[in-house]
Amino acid sequence: MKYVWIGLLLAIGSSACSPRDKHQKHSIVRIRWVRDPENLSPLVQPNQNAVDALTLLHCSLLQLDFSTGIHVPALADSLPNVHLVGDSLTEISYQLRRAATWDSGRPVLASDVAFTLKLYQCPGLPNENARGQLSFIRDIRLNPGNSRRFTLVCRGQAPEFRLETGDFPVLPEATLDAKHTLRRYSLAQLANLTSLPPRDTALTALVSRYQHADPSHHPERLPGCGAYRLQAWEIDRFLTFVRKPHWWADTLRPTPFVLQARPRQITYLIIPDETTAALALRRHELDVLPQLSARAFKRLQAADSTQQELSFYSIASYELLMAGFNTSRPMLHDSLTRQALAQLFDPAKLQKATQLGQGLRTVGLVHPSNRSYYNDSLALPAYNPKQAVFLLQQAGWQRQAAGWVSAKAKNKAQQAPLKLRLRYRADDQVFATVALQFKSAATALGIPVALLPTEASSLTTALQEGDFDIYVRKLSTSPFAFDFSMLLHSRTIPKSNFTKFSTRTTDRLMDAIAATGAPAQKRKLLRRFQTIIQQQAPFVPLFFLPYRLATARELQHVHPSGYKPGYYAAAATWNIASSTVAAAQ
Amino acid sequence: MRRWLLIQLGRAGLAAWATASLVFILSRVLAAGAEEAMLGESNDLRVRTGATSPVARQALRQRLGLDEPVFYVTRTSRASATWRWHGPHNQYHHWLTRLLHGQLGWSFRDGQPIGPQLRKALVYTLPLAGLAAAAATLAALALGLALAGGPLATPTGWRAALQLVLTSLQGIPVFVLALGLLFLFANPDALNLLPAYSLADDPENLPFGTYLLQLIMPVLTLVLAVLPELALPLAAALRHELRADYATTARAKGVPAPTLLRRHALPNALLPLLTSFASLLPSLLAGTVLVESIFSLPGMGRLLAEAAASHDYPVVVAGVLVAAGVRLLGLALSDALYALADPRIRLAS
Repeated sequence: MKYVWIGLLLAIGSSACSPRDKHQKHSIVRIRWVRDPENLSPLVQPNQNAVDALTLLHCSLLQLDFSTGIHVPALADSLPNVHLVGDSLTEISYQLRRAATWDSGRPVLASDVAFTLKLYQCPGLPNENARGQLSFIRDIRLNPGNSRRFTLVCRGQAPEFRLETGDFPVLPEATLDAKHTLRRYSLAQLANLTSLPPRDTALTALVSRYQHADPSHHPERLPGCGAYRLQAWEIDRFLTFVRKPHWWADTLRPTPFVLQARPRQITYLIIPDETTAALALRRHELDVLPQLSARAFKRLQAADSTQQELSFYSIASYELLMAGFNTSRPMLHDSLTRQALAQLFDPAKLQKATQLGQGLRTVGLVHPSNRSYYNDSLALPAYNPKQAVFLLQQAGWQRQAAGWVSAKAKNKAQQAPLKLRLRYRADDQVFATVALQFKSAATALGIPVALLPTEASSLTTALQEGDFDIYVRKLSTSPFAFDFSMLLHSRTIPKSNFTKFSTRTTDRLMDAIAATGAPAQKRKLLRRFQTIIQQQAPFVPLFFLPYRLATARELQHVHPSGYKPGYYAAAATWNIASSTVAAAQ
Repeated sequence: MRRWLLIQLGRAGLAAWATASLVFILSRVLAAGAEEAMLGESNDLRVRTGATSPVARQALRQRLGLDEPVFYVTRTSRASATWRWHGPHNQYHHWLTRLLHGQLGWSFRDGQPIGPQLRKALVYTLPLAGLAAAAATLAALALGLALAGGPLATPTGWRAALQLVLTSLQGIPVFVLALGLLFLFANPDALNLLPAYSLADDPENLPFGTYLLQLIMPVLTLVLAVLPELALPLAAALRHELRADYATTARAKGVPAPTLLRRHALPNALLPLLTSFASLLPSLLAGTVLVESIFSLPGMGRLLAEAAASHDYPVVVAGVLVAAGVRLLGLALSDALYALADPRIRLAS
């Protein structure tokens, strides 16, 4: 009897686990997502998965070319022309591609871009994030003689405007506003409204139409001009995108990289557990496994047969692991003390212990791959307890029986021995490792450290309230923008400048860097800024974290990258020849 | 009987309401986490500061219904703190009114009504937990009878080994069990028999065999997780009954050992099993949080875990209501079974 059961199990198992038809397989790419995108409205974009999905459904004016790492025209015909007006306005002019059309065959026009920008600013819609992100665009001027040409008027002057004005999904006006009711409002008018005017029937009707369409869960009701359409969405299970048979960019010769859409179908499988996902990859139930932890990556590489079946990639991302000091604390007010404590972090060993040595060490916030702006004349932060002792003594600290006491202390509060509280997010082992390493190094020098692992949202509140001496966290930096004011400017204390560090010099430098477009001038300012920040040491940059990716070996052109999400799904192709050979063997 | 049932249900309803109300108020007091989660993190240099401006925050609070007072009365946070009455214009009143109309509210994350979300999740969780409960109960009966069938003092031989295995199993966390099964049955380096996760292709036309295959490991994990706490007390109770005078008399009358065990000892030994049964349903629900995450099943456990992690409090509160209901249902069910199993226990008492 037991053999019957085992036989039945094997029979069912073999039928369920048999490899799918080769022909079908070679046009489908299956990618793992940890979580559901939750909302596919272009106005909301709540997480990276939603952004990735929207990139398949919609087109922006400019898009990131993963093969070169620069933004290139997508819906736009060419890169925009930038014109500075006085010292407070920027005009950016775009021309749309003649070939660009909606699925209905109607051309994508400047009026669609105007409608999109107004929708992003319309009160009553779930666009709180988008409103703020695009609030610098104050007006859009359509060209009366050319329906594909328009000029965006931006408040302020910053080189990043050129990219940021092109980085949003363009939506069809005809779908939500066939009667062109939004055209009677200017962009500034809508941006200035905090809520829906009670008697404004046009706006109320538009909001009602949007809510009725519910594009957050029915993106087909607000169809974009991207290469794919959503075929199926089982919440928390999978999303399937299928290639449109006739897409406007198919007529372009040569097809720009950002407008390539090779897989016939892209399926995102929601697999929360990493071990399950790794086994699914090994069982050929999955083709792309991104954002792998160091442990899973190592285990996969070490497993039998994976070297023949899988490809492994590791590339430094733009996510910086860092430790920050609360400079408002009297004991951490002196830069020498901060420099001393910075010497107690061991970035090299931490990188080895937590990331298999992958990632990229850095002197500051600028990514080392940016050879022009990165200040390579500075020394990388390194573990040096002897130097830490020397610097502490320089800062006026004396080691006594009670611990390190400041000789410069003027009042009782300042006479307290050096004692630190280190706060970090509790759900990430990397932070815990950094905290433990620092604690061990500090304890060896006689500096007591209390570790405070904290829940994510409570951590933000604690940091804003200054309830810490040192924090450890990840910081997402941008490869294209160099506005560091959010982290270190006096005007962002305490909202996002948790270290509360600010000096007039660095404030002015950050403002100048953000406003300067000339590369030579920017280079000079950025190098100076990195030097000052290393001297002041409000934070210690440990290293840029790696993105790890494992894919089926036959899947090619995934373009592993340090940009989110770490690969480019639409360019992937199957190397059928090699898979056929492998199958024959 | 009907009166007793009504009283039980009334008590259960009151307890569920009190628990959910407490969670609701606590979650709304801490709702800043939800705003942070939705407005983008403060650790992203790519986010323009305008996105997290007070205007954006206020607009979000308004959309989520967080701009009203949390409860009927609130205490001002000024130095001379005073209580302030808000009448029915408060979040708790709106929530309770909707609840009485059968609405659980809307999710913060996706703006969708929570009722259908819970129903969809239960489609996965109920078969999983139901199968696991049935299988665990049957297995516990079989193992309990097997363990108690030997010498009266202490189990020896294979019974001792089985008891040791069950005791060891009790100390293994659910996620270790789940991962162990995965590595055993869905691993190309071991037995590559079962799918590693809930296969997603074409769910509407999913063959029944494939559906069963997907359920094997999750159900087995839950069964293994709860089996010791059912089987071991049952075996101990059976051994206790077999030492009683009536069992000695039966033996003296020549009643065969298996008959004595099943017909005479088992009905009397069932009471501890029923006590365990009351905690079985909540245990299974707790187990599904991990099991559904590991095996990628979009059930109740995963829904609640993800809602809690992303501060989606309306979903959490709805989940608490369901969990409390299940717990109280389990208690009521075990009370009823107690009365059925032992006529000495009067429902009125």
